[in-house]
Amino acid sequence: MGVRADIQVSLKPELRDPEGEKIKRKVKEYFGMTLRDVRVIEVKTVVSKLKKEELEEARKKIFTNPVTQISSLGDLTKSFKWDYAIWIGYRPGVMDPAGHTAVEAIEDMLKIKFDENESVYTSKIYLIDGKIKKVDGDRIARELLANDIIQRWKVLSKREWKNFEIPMPKVILNYKPTVTTFSIKSDEELLKLSKERNMALNPKDIPTIRKYFLRPDIQKERAKYGLSDPTDIELEYIAQGRSDHCNHNTFNGKFYYKDLLTGETATVFNLFKECIKEPTLRLKEKKNWILSVLWDNAGIAKFDDKYNYSISAETHNSPSNIEAYGGAITGNVGEYRDKLGAGKGSKVFLGLYGFGVGPRDYNGNLKPKLHPRRLLDGVIEGIRDGGNKSGVPTVFGNVFFHPGYIGKCNIFVGSAGIMPAEINGKPTYEKKINDGDLCIMVGGRVGKDGIHGVTAASEEYSEHTPAGHVQIGFPYGQKKMEGLILEARDKDLINFITDNGGGGLSSSVGESCRYCGKKGGVEVELEKVPTKYPGLHPWEIWISESQERMTLAVSPDKIDEFMKLAKKHDVEATVIGTYRDTGKIHVKYNGKTIMYVDLSLLESDFPQWEFEAEWIPPELRLKEPVMDEPENYNNVLEDILSRPNICSKEWVARQYDHEVQGGSVIKPLVGVGRDVHSDAIVVKPVLESKKGFGVTQVVNPWFSEIDTYWMTANIIDEAVRRLVAVGGNLEHIGGIDNFCWPNIQYDPKNNPDGMYKAAQLVRSNWALRKYCEEFGIPLLSGKDSMYIDGNIKGKYGETQKVSGPPTLQFTANTVIEDVSKCVTMDAKMPGDLVYVLGDTKDELGGSEYYDMFNYVGLNIPKVDVKEFLPMYRTLQKAIESEIIASAHAVSRGGLGVHLAEVAFAGNLGMKIYLSKVPTNLKRNDKILFSESAGRFIVTIDPKHRREFESMFKGFKFNQIGEVIKDRFIVYGLNGEEIINRPYDELKKAYKKTFGDLI
Amino acid sequence: MKPKALVLDGYGLNCGYETAYSLKLAGAEAKRVHINELIWGKEKLEDYHILVLIGGFSWGDDHGAGVLEACKLKFNMGNQIRKFIEDEKLIMGICNGFQALVNSGLLPGIKNYNTREIALISNDMGNFRDDWVHLRVRKSLCIFTKGIKGIDLPIRHGEGKFYAEESVIRKLFENNQIVLQYAKGDKLANGEFPYNPNGSLEDIAGITDPTGRIFGLMPHPEAFNSFTNHPNWTREKEVLKRSGKPIPEEGDGIKIFRNAVRYVEENLL
Repeated sequence: MGVRADIQVSLKPELRDPEGEKIKRKVKEYFGMTLRDVRVIEVKTVVSKLKKEELEEARKKIFTNPVTQISSLGDLTKSFKWDYAIWIGYRPGVMDPAGHTAVEAIEDMLKIKFDENESVYTSKIYLIDGKIKKVDGDRIARELLANDIIQRWKVLSKREWKNFEIPMPKVILNYKPTVTTFSIKSDEELLKLSKERNMALNPKDIPTIRKYFLRPDIQKERAKYGLSDPTDIELEYIAQGRSDHCNHNTFNGKFYYKDLLTGETATVFNLFKECIKEPTLRLKEKKNWILSVLWDNAGIAKFDDKYNYSISAETHNSPSNIEAYGGAITGNVGEYRDKLGAGKGSKVFLGLYGFGVGPRDYNGNLKPKLHPRRLLDGVIEGIRDGGNKSGVPTVFGNVFFHPGYIGKCNIFVGSAGIMPAEINGKPTYEKKINDGDLCIMVGGRVGKDGIHGVTAASEEYSEHTPAGHVQIGFPYGQKKMEGLILEARDKDLINFITDNGGGGLSSSVGESCRYCGKKGGVEVELEKVPTKYPGLHPWEIWISESQERMTLAVSPDKIDEFMKLAKKHDVEATVIGTYRDTGKIHVKYNGKTIMYVDLSLLESDFPQWEFEAEWIPPELRLKEPVMDEPENYNNVLEDILSRPNICSKEWVARQYDHEVQGGSVIKPLVGVGRDVHSDAIVVKPVLESKKGFGVTQVVNPWFSEIDTYWMTANIIDEAVRRLVAVGGNLEHIGGIDNFCWPNIQYDPKNNPDGMYKAAQLVRSNWALRKYCEEFGIPLLSGKDSMYIDGNIKGKYGETQKVSGPPTLQFTANTVIEDVSKCVTMDAKMPGDLVYVLGDTKDELGGSEYYDMFNYVGLNIPKVDVKEFLPMYRTLQKAIESEIIASAHAVSRGGLGVHLAEVAFAGNLGMKIYLSKVPTNLKRNDKILFSESAGRFIVTIDPKHRREFESMFKGFKFNQIGEVIKDRFIVYGLNGEEIINRPYDELKKAYKKTFGDLI
Repeated sequence: MKPKALVLDGYGLNCGYETAYSLKLAGAEAKRVHINELIWGKEKLEDYHILVLIGGFSWGDDHGAGVLEACKLKFNMGNQIRKFIEDEKLIMGICNGFQALVNSGLLPGIKNYNTREIALISNDMGNFRDDWVHLRVRKSLCIFTKGIKGIDLPIRHGEGKFYAEESVIRKLFENNQIVLQYAKGDKLANGEFPYNPNGSLEDIAGITDPTGRIFGLMPHPEAFNSFTNHPNWTREKEVLKRSGKPIPEEGDGIKIFRNAVRYVEENLL
C-alpha cells in the first residue's frame, strides 16, 4: 500500500479566478444568491511510495506554475477568506482523466512505473465567501457544481474543515468473480430469474431462448465443454443482442394502421425494411457514389477518386437526462469511434450536435432531475470538451426548446470521417476477417461502467462500489487511440475494426465475428481483458460499456508490428482471442468454457413486435385561429426574432472549435459580424482538394402536433434547400434519420394514446420513404430512440408522465465540386436586388407566428418535389455560375424573419414590397410569417438581373425589393409602410435573448 | 534541398495535418513526428530546421494547458532542444504549443531558456472561445512576421490570457519581444472584448525570444491556409469580383510559415 499526500494548487490570491467568477455568476442566475467571492483549489491526492522529496519535486515541477499559482502539500485554504468550503470528488470507478495524466507525468519525471496500488485522484475545493447557510452550500453543490451520479461532495464550515480528510474513490470489489447458470425448466422461471438479475430479457423472447438450450444436439455439444443450462454471460449476450437499442425491434415491427376519419387501413410488415432499407438500396443501384450502407458503424460514400467519407448520427438522451455533461461527452466521443470503426477506419473531420430541451426559463410545477437550464449547460459543455479535446471541429447544430422535452431531453450527436479510398489496392469500405486472425481490444480498460443498474444483490454494495451507468468520457485517451488506428490502417495492419460502445465486447466481438470466413465465429479468453480493478465477474467484463475502446482483427503475422505501433502511441492493446470460422462464439475464463452459443441463435425465429396504430387526422383535432392582422408590425418582428427557437445561439457555437483541421469554408456563424446562423456549413476534409463537404440538420417538433407526415416532408425539403443555399450539389445528397419518439406501445393505463403515437411514427416513415426517394437521398445512416417519456414529480407530490413531441432530426450532406463558388446568406452590398423564389401559401399551421399567440392552427405546409426540384436545380446552376451574391432558405419564422436575417447579417437594410411577393395571399401577416416550403431568398448584383431572370423563367419568383444601407423597411399590400427599423435594432432583438450567456 | 520542418504530434495534440500542409504550401518539407519517436531517437531533431509545437489539447490540458507537454520536453529532450537553439534554428509554438513554450521557459528566454516568467491563463470571459481576431504586428526581430503589418487569424482557446509581472512585460517591450497584439481596426484592442478575446495584458497575442527565432502565438496561422478560411471571404470575393480584381487562393497565415522557410533557405542551407 502507498502513502497518501494531498497536493493543493490554486491561483495566487491576488489574481482573479475566472472559474470562481463564473460560478459566482451562475449562483446569482440559478438561485438569486449573491456571493462575495468564490475561489477554486485543485487537489491531487497522490497515493504512492514516493519519498517526500519526490512529492515536492512533482508539486513544484509538474503541478505548480510559479508565475500564477501557489501550492502546498499542506492546507491552502488559509490563503483565502471564506465561510464555507465545498469539496467535490468523483465516486469510485468514475473516469478521472486528470488523475490519469498526473500519473503519466510523475512516472515520466521520475522514470518509474506506478503499481496497481498507487494512483492519483483529483478533486476540487470551492471556497465560498458570502453570507450563506450550510443548506445553500449544499444546494450550490447539488444543483450547480456536482452531479450525484458521478460525484460526491461535502459542505464544510471552517471548524469542520479542520477535521476533514479528503475521501479517496478507490474501487474495492468485495466479492469473487463467479459464473452462474440459470434454470430453464419453464418460461416463468427463466423470466423470474432474469428479472431478479436486472437482465432485461424480453418476455416474448424467452420461449425461443429456451427452445434453443433444450435442443438435444445443442445440449450434447455444450456438455463437451462442461456446460448445461445457460450461463449468466450467455443470457446477458442474448439480452444485449435482442434489446430494442441493438436490434431495433420497434422499427422492425409490424404495424396495423387505421385512419379514424376515413376508416382506411393498411399493414406495414416491417417499418425499417419498407421505409428505410429498401428505398436506400434502390437508390444505391442508381447512384454510384453510395458505397456502403445499412451494416457498418457508419454509412460510407465517395468523396472523390482518392477519398471516401463516412457519416452517422445518433442520440444520447437517457444518459444526458440524468448526467448532462457525461451523457453528452460520451455520446459525442462514441460517435467519433463509429467513424474510426467505419470501414477500415476513418479520421473524423467534423462533429454535429442537437439539443432539444425544456424552456430554459422553465418555472412550472414539474421537478425534473435536472432543470432544463442546467441540463442545457451540461450538454453544451459535454460536446465542447468532447469535440475540442478530440481535435474535431464541431461545426453545426440546433438548439431548440419545447415543454415536451421536460420529461426527456433530445440530445443528438453526429460526425463525419474521411478515409483513403484504397489501401494496398483494397477498398477501405470493405472489411473481412480471416480464420485465425487475432481479436484485439485497444484503448481503455474495462470496469463496471454502463452495466445495467448494477447488480441488485445488496451485499455487494459498499462505500467503494463503483458508480454504474454513466461515464464522463476521456477524449485524450481516445485521441491517442485514433493516432494508433489511423497509422495502423495506413500500414494495412487492420483487417477489421469496430467500436466498443453499447453492449461492450458482447456486441463488438459478437458482431465482428460474423465477418470471419464463411460461418463466422470467435474464441475469447476473457481473463486476458485488462480491467480497471480486480474482481469483476466474467459477464460484467463481457458487457461492460467502458468507453474509449475498439475491437480489431489483425493477422498473426502483423501482430508484432501492430503492438510496436501501440507502444509508440502509448495505447494499451491486448490480444483477447482468435477469430474462428466455426459458427460459434466460444468464451473461456481461465481455461474453462463459460459461453458456447451458435452465432445463428440471434437470427432465429424471435417473435416480431406488433403495434396497433390509430391515426386521428388533424381536421378532427385542430382548427385555424380566428385572428385578424396586427397593427404594430415593428413589434411583431422584433418579438418573433427574439423568441428562443428563432434567436441567436451564438454562445453555443462559439464554445466549439469549428476551425481545427484547417478546412473551414462556410462557418456556423456568418455575416459581417460573424453572428447569424448559417443555412449549412462547408468544410474541406482534404486540404489539397478544391472539393467541399456540406452538411446541415433540421428538426421541427412543432409541425408534429398537426401531422408527422408533413413534418417529415418539410424537414427533408428544408435540409435540401439549406444545402443548395450554400452551393450544395443536388446530385449528391445523403441523409440520416434520427427518430426520437415517445413510447408507441399502447397501454390503457400508462400509455393511453400509444396507438396514436404509433400512427404518427408510421406516417413519418411513409413521408421519409417518399421524399427521400423523390429527392434522391439515400439514408446513409440512422437510429431510433423510442422512449422520449419521463415520469416527473409535480407540485403536490404527484407523478406526471410527460411525453416528448415526436421528433425527427434529418441530417443532410453534400459534396461540392469547388468551394470557391460557395455562398453565404448575408446581403452583400447596397443596391443588390432581393428576390423570393417559390410560392408563399396560406400555410401557417404549426408556425412560429401562431405559436407566438399560443395557436397551433391546421394548415401545415405541403411539399411537392416535382414542382420544387427543377427550381432548386436552377438555383444550383446559378450559384455555380457565380451570379448569386447571397442565398438563404426560408424556414421557421417565414419571410419576415428570414429577410431580416439576410439584411442584418450583412449589416445592411432592405426595402421590401409585399405586393411583389409571389403569392395569392391577401394578408400582410400571412405573407410575412407563412412557413411554406420550397422557398429561397436570394440577392444579386443588379448587373446579373437579366441572366438571373432568364434562368428562372417559368418558375414562381419575383424581385421583391433591394438592399439598402441602414433601415429595414417593408411596404404592405396596399403600399403602406408597415415595418421600418434600423437593421441593428433588429439584430439586437435577434441577439438579446441569450446575449449574456457565455 | 528544401527546409525541413518537424511537426511534433501525439498525446492529444491535434493540428498536425493542417500545420504540415501549411508548411508545405510555404515551401518546406514537413513531417508529423510523434513525440515518442523523437524521445526514442527514431527521429533526430538535428535533421530538421524548423520545430513546430502545434495546437491541440496535449495531455487533455489537465493540470494547465501545455503544462505536461512542457514537462515531457524538459524531462526527455532538453539537450536536443538546447542544441537546436544553439544551431540558430527556428521554433514556433502555436496555441497549445505556445503554452508549452512558456511553461518550459523557452519563452520569453530573457535570461535563459528554462525560466518560467510568463503564463497563459484562463480567458477572462471564463470559457473556451472560437472567433477571428485582427492582430497588429509590432516591429521586432521576429523572423516569422517580417513584412507583415497586420493579419486576421482565428483564435480557439480557453487559456490564452497573457499574464506576467509588470516588470517582465516592461522588459519584453524594451527588448522588442512583443510581436502580435490584438487590435480593433487600426487601433489596439485595449482590452476590449471580443477584439481582445481573453483579457491578455497589453493585448499581447504573440511574443518572440530575444533572438527572434523562437516564436509563440495564441492565434492559428495554419487555419488560415486558404482564402476561403476567412470568415468574410464570400463578401470579399464579391467586392473583388465587382471591381474586376483577381480572387486570391492562399490564406494570409501562410506568410508566417513562408518567412520561416525563407530564413532557413537564406541562413541554414
